[in-house]
Amino acid sequence: MIEVKNLTKSLPNGRKVLDGISFKVNKGEFVGILGPSGAGKTLTLRCLNGLLKPDSGSVIIQDDSNSGYDICKVSKRELRTIRERIGVVFQGYHLVKRLSALENVMIGRLGQINTLRSIFYGFTDAEADEAIKALEKVKMAHMADTPTGNLSGGEMQRVAIARAIFQSPTLLLADEPISNLDPSNAKSIMKMIRPLSEIMPVVGVFHQPEMTAKYCTRVIAIKEGKVIYDGDPKLTEAQLVEIYGEELEQIEHQEHTIPALITN
Amino acid sequence: MMAKVKKYSFKRYRKYIIPVLVLLAVAEGAGLACGASLARLQEGLFKGVAFFGYMFPPDWSAFSEMLQPAFQSIIIAFLGTVFGTLLSVVFAMLAASNLSNSWVRNITRFLIGLERSVPEIVILLLLIAAFGLGAMPGIIALALGCVGMLGKLLADVIEEIDYKMIESMESVGANKMQVIVFGVLPQIIPNLISYALFRFEINIRLSVILGAVGAGGIGYELDYSFGMLQYHRAFTAMLVIIVMIFGTEHLSNILREKIKVGGALK
Amino acid sequence: MSTVSFILPSKKYKQRVTIFSISALVVFVACWYMDFNPIGFFTEFHFVRDLLGEMFMPNYHVLADDASTAFSIVQTLSMAFLGTLYGGIIAIILAFLAASNTMPYQFIRGLAQFSLSMFRVVPILVVILIFVIAVGPGAFAGVLTLVIITIGTFGKLFAEIIENVENAPGEAIFSVGASRMQVIRYAVIPQILPSLIANLLYAFDVNMRAAIGLGIFGGGGIGFQLQMAKSVLHYKDVTALISIIIVLVIVVEKISDYLRRKILGDEKLK
Repeated sequence: MIEVKNLTKSLPNGRKVLDGISFKVNKGEFVGILGPSGAGKTLTLRCLNGLLKPDSGSVIIQDDSNSGYDICKVSKRELRTIRERIGVVFQGYHLVKRLSALENVMIGRLGQINTLRSIFYGFTDAEADEAIKALEKVKMAHMADTPTGNLSGGEMQRVAIARAIFQSPTLLLADEPISNLDPSNAKSIMKMIRPLSEIMPVVGVFHQPEMTAKYCTRVIAIKEGKVIYDGDPKLTEAQLVEIYGEELEQIEHQEHTIPALITN
Repeated sequence: MMAKVKKYSFKRYRKYIIPVLVLLAVAEGAGLACGASLARLQEGLFKGVAFFGYMFPPDWSAFSEMLQPAFQSIIIAFLGTVFGTLLSVVFAMLAASNLSNSWVRNITRFLIGLERSVPEIVILLLLIAAFGLGAMPGIIALALGCVGMLGKLLADVIEEIDYKMIESMESVGANKMQVIVFGVLPQIIPNLISYALFRFEINIRLSVILGAVGAGGIGYELDYSFGMLQYHRAFTAMLVIIVMIFGTEHLSNILREKIKVGGALK
Repeated sequence: MSTVSFILPSKKYKQRVTIFSISALVVFVACWYMDFNPIGFFTEFHFVRDLLGEMFMPNYHVLADDASTAFSIVQTLSMAFLGTLYGGIIAIILAFLAASNTMPYQFIRGLAQFSLSMFRVVPILVVILIFVIAVGPGAFAGVLTLVIITIGTFGKLFAEIIENVENAPGEAIFSVGASRMQVIRYAVIPQILPSLIANLLYAFDVNMRAAIGLGIFGGGGIGFQLQMAKSVLHYKDVTALISIIIVLVIVVEKISDYLRRKILGDEKLK
C-alpha cells in the first residue's frame, strides 16, 4: 500500500508545481496518472520513490510485514533499503547498454546484495537462474546475453519489467513506460504490467488515456499540481477535455479516436 | 571602365594589409629573439647534411647492444601508461560533475589542467632531483603525464553518461560504488582502452626523450653516442628507435580497431 | 529448470579473474625487470619532502636579477611562434601535395605522403641533437626542431582535412572551366580555413610546451634557464621558473582556446 498525503512543491520563482496531492493505492490496483504536460505527474511519481523531495507532505509505503515508512522523512540509508523493494520502469534509456539483458535484470537486486560481493564477485549462478525466470515471464529469456544496446525499445522495456519483477517488489512505479513504443509493443507492455497489480500496487504515469482506460483499474488526473479526478479509468470526452484542454489533439491516438473511446 | 574594375579587385584585400604587416613584424622580432637568420640556416643546412653523411652508415655491430635498451624504453612507456591510466581513472571520477560535488570537481579539474601545463621533462627533472637517475623517475613522470590528457578525456566521457541510467540504478537501491562499477565502468571501458593505447604511442616517444635526460633506455644510448662522438652508433640507435615507434604505433592501431569492432567483449 | 542457454555469472567471473591475473602478472614482471617499486614512491617520500623543502620558497628575483629570465620567456614564445608559422606553412603545402583531391599525380602524392611520414616518425631527440650540432645550441636549433615537429604532427592531419571537403563546390567551379588552382582557392580553401586556423592555434599551444622541453636539450628559452638553475642546484630558482612556466602555458592555452572558439564559432554563424 502506498499513501500520498498533501504533497506540495514550489519552484524557486514561487510557482506551485505540486499543490496538495493526496491519494492512496492498495494492492490489486493499477493506477494510471494522467494530465497535461507540466501538470506535475512525473514530479509526483518521482516523489514516490524519493528521487524528488517535496516541500511538505508525506509518502507512506507499507507492505504486509512492516508498519509504513514515510519516504520523505527517512535517512539516505533507509531510503536505499526501501528502494530495493520498489520496482521502476522508465520511459527512456535506463538500462546499462553495454551489459547483457541478464546482467541488467540482476542489477535490480544490487541493493539487496552486499556491496563488496557485488563488486568483486558479481552475481551468483542462483541469482542468474531466478533472473532467467523473470526474463521468461516477459518472453525475453532467449536474448539473455544480448547487450541491451542492441535491443529495440519494446524489448528494452520488457527487460526493465523483468528487472522490476526480479526485485520481488512491494510497489511498482512506471514513468510513461509506453510513450516511446509503437501500438503493438505498447499493448504487450500494458498486458505484462496489468497482472503484476495483483501482487503489488502499481502506479504509472501515462499520456495515453485509451490505454489507461483499457488496462488500469483506476485513473487519477492531475492538473496544475492538483488532483482533479480520481476514479473510473474510462473517461468521457468532456472529462478528457477538462483534463487536457487544448492538448487533447496532441495526445497520441494511434488506434482510437475519441468517439471510439467513449463507445468502448 | 577598366580602371574601375582594377581598383575594386585590390581594395578588397586592404583589410588584410595590417594583419599581415603585424604578422611579419612579429615574425621578424621573434626571429631576432631566437638568433634566426638565413645565413645561419644555410650554413647549418650544409653542416647538417654533411653531418648526416657522417652518421651513415650505421654501426651494425652495435645493433645487438641496442635491443635491450629499446626493450627497456618500451617497458618504461608500458608501465607509465598502465599506472598513469589507473591514476587518471581516479582523477576522472573525481572530476566528473555527475559523480562528485562541485567543490571536489573544480579542484580536481584545476589540478588536471595544472598537470597539463608542466611538460613531462620538467616533471622528470624534479623526480630525478628527488630520487636520482633511473627508470623509476621515468615511469612516474610518464604516469603523471597521463593524468593531464586521460584525466580530462575520461572525465568528459563520464559526464556524457546518460544520467537517467544512473538514476534508475539508484532507484533500485544501489549505492554509489555499485553505480560506478555496474553503470559507469561498463560505459567508459572501451573509451578507456582506446585512449590508453593512444597515450601509449605518445609515451613511447616521450620515453625516448626522457631516457636521454636520465631515465635510461635507448634514449640514453642515443644521447650517449652523440656525446661520445660515435655517430655511427648513434645512427644505429636512431634506426632502432624508428622501428620501435613504427612497431608500437602499428600494434596500437590494430588493437584500437579491434576495440571498435569487438565492442561488447569486455 | 530453464532450457535457455546463457553465460553463467560464475563463468564470467572466472574469465575476469583470469584476465586480471594475467595482466597483473605482466605488470608485476615488468616492474621487477625494471627494478621499479611503485610503493617506493610512497615509502621513500621523504626524498620528495626534502626536495620540496629546498624548492620553497620560490625565488622570484630571477625575474629581476638580470633580463635573462624575462628574455627567455620572450624567446620561448618566439620559438613557438616561428615553429608554428613556418612549420604550418610547410605542412599546409605538403598537405596539398599529399591530398588525393588536390594532387592528381600519384607520383608526387606518394612522395609527399612519404615525406610527411618521415617527418612524423623521426625521433625528436635525433632532430634536436643534429640541429644543435648544425647551427649551434640555442633558440634557433629549437625553432628548427619545432618546425619539424609541427610538420610531422599536423601534415597528415591537414591532408585529411583537405580530403574531407565537400566535392560539390569544387565540381561546380571546375565545370565552368576553372583551373585546378582556382578550384583550390575558391572551393577548398574557404572550407578548410577555420579548421586550419584552429589547428594552428592549437599547434602554437603544443609548441609552447615542446619549446620548454627542448630548451632543456640546449634549445634555449625558459627550459634552458630551468636546466641551468637545476644543474647548479638553485632549486628556489627552479621553482620560480616552473611557476612562471605554468602561468605562461595556462595563459597561452586560454588565449588559444578563446581564439579557436571565436574562429569556429564565427564560421558557424556564417
